[in-house]
Amino acid sequence: MDYQPILPLRMIAFQILFLLVALAVESSILRQRLRFGFKTSVQYTLAINLAAIVVGWTAFLVIEPLSPMEIKSQMISYILFDRLSLNNWSAQIGATICAIGLASFLVTFFVKLKGLELIMRADGIWKLEEEDSRASKRITRDERYARARQGKSDAQQALSEFMDAVIQANAASFSAISLLLLLRFLVTREAA
Amino acid sequence: MPEFFDDLQKQARALLWPDQYFAWQTLLLLSLFSLLIAALLEAPEDGSFAISTLTTLSWIFFTCAVWWALSKNETEIKLPGADYSISAWVTGAVFCTFLFLSREEPHWRWAICTWPLISTTIKALPHFITWELEPHWPKKKDQPMLVMTLLINLILTSWIVFSFRVQDWVENYPSLLANDFDNSSFVTDFRVDSPDRQIETQGGRLLDNTADAIYKELNDQPWYQTERWLYTRQDRLEAISQDMVGAFSAPEEQVFWRMQVPDLKRLPDEGYLLTLRANWVGPVAGAQQMQLEKTCKILPIDKVRSVEVKPNEEPPVSTFTEVRCDEKSPEVQWSDLRQRVTGGE
Repeated sequence: MDYQPILPLRMIAFQILFLLVALAVESSILRQRLRFGFKTSVQYTLAINLAAIVVGWTAFLVIEPLSPMEIKSQMISYILFDRLSLNNWSAQIGATICAIGLASFLVTFFVKLKGLELIMRADGIWKLEEEDSRASKRITRDERYARARQGKSDAQQALSEFMDAVIQANAASFSAISLLLLLRFLVTREAA
Repeated sequence: MPEFFDDLQKQARALLWPDQYFAWQTLLLLSLFSLLIAALLEAPEDGSFAISTLTTLSWIFFTCAVWWALSKNETEIKLPGADYSISAWVTGAVFCTFLFLSREEPHWRWAICTWPLISTTIKALPHFITWELEPHWPKKKDQPMLVMTLLINLILTSWIVFSFRVQDWVENYPSLLANDFDNSSFVTDFRVDSPDRQIETQGGRLLDNTADAIYKELNDQPWYQTERWLYTRQDRLEAISQDMVGAFSAPEEQVFWRMQVPDLKRLPDEGYLLTLRANWVGPVAGAQQMQLEKTCKILPIDKVRSVEVKPNEEPPVSTFTEVRCDEKSPEVQWSDLRQRVTGGE
């Protein structure tokens, strides 16, 4: 069988477009919430988004050959023809798509959280746990108990703020991209 | 004129002859040397091992020479508009050519898939190992560049692997090519769109072979056997199409073809009309389903039996079967999915 001239160029265009959208949305949120500079925020966001893309691709490329025939045929149908064949199991398809969406949100969130933490540690602007460990050595047990009753410590507060910022950024970029996909769906349906 | 040649010789000498032994020109000359030896050793029959060794050495020297020449001189190839050298990718291309293409059967897929990662390794290697071969950790200011390079090249690799995956799909399920890919948000189709482009689906071959098998089973058989066969045609045809599907040139596609067990139609005079139909149940571009049809006529004919009879009696006649199928190969038809579903009920 000779080579068929079918190249995934549209996929590359969409990938770059979505990356730029995510970059614009997330970097502004991270800059405001975590007080980065302009350049740093863009650099960090680019790095964590590239990491998320790599994880997603790896997952797809590993899962696709292992998946059963029905799912594989749906994948082929979606990728080559932009449609799912809904004639036999529409309810399951809806549930599966929701599950995939949720799973990808959680996985990208985790990747971005850990990635940003690693980058900040490497750049030496990660101060959350060092303070925490130093503090826990100094204070006595009673004090720690009192603090635990009072609520969160400063470090915990900072950590939860950090996680809040990342999850907000992720949610915002997911919403923006979903909106674009919806828009594209409406436009192509109107044209058809 | 002699002065000109003298000059040329001097210039060539200056370009190719190293000022010191530890220079890229040395390695380039070594590469040429190995190539020469390999060429010389090719003459006797028994020199195949020596040849392969020396050619390999030549490739290694050549790769090193390219690497060295590009990284230690002013000749670095910069990415347009950025202070970022892509020399490592040139070296990577040479190295991949050596690893996967300079063999008797080139592995194009491996070469292209590993190119970005091999180039990344070549790019990163000087940051991890000194020229004295001592390992060290990359400098703080180079770390972001290295991480970005790695991530971007992993994504490039994924894209390349994905496009080969698409190639695998159309190779394993060639009937997909009967559709157009205009709706896709992933792939662009560069196939030449000529009107006389013939798409041969394996369904056509499936029907042809099934018709042949029916011909073999029924032709010249006594008519009562044929009628019994037609009565149990469901099982018979399933068995036949199982065999036929197993002999596909792209055997993975068989899950997407369904042989429809046909209704028998009585012909006005005598005999039956058998319509064989193959349905494609795999992915399609539109709301239409791909199907192919081929009809076979199964007719009773009377034949004189070749037994000895008394001269005044009519010779005994018994009925045999004749199978006549469509000569031409079936063509792809598109039928409305809805119509087909309601028609089936």
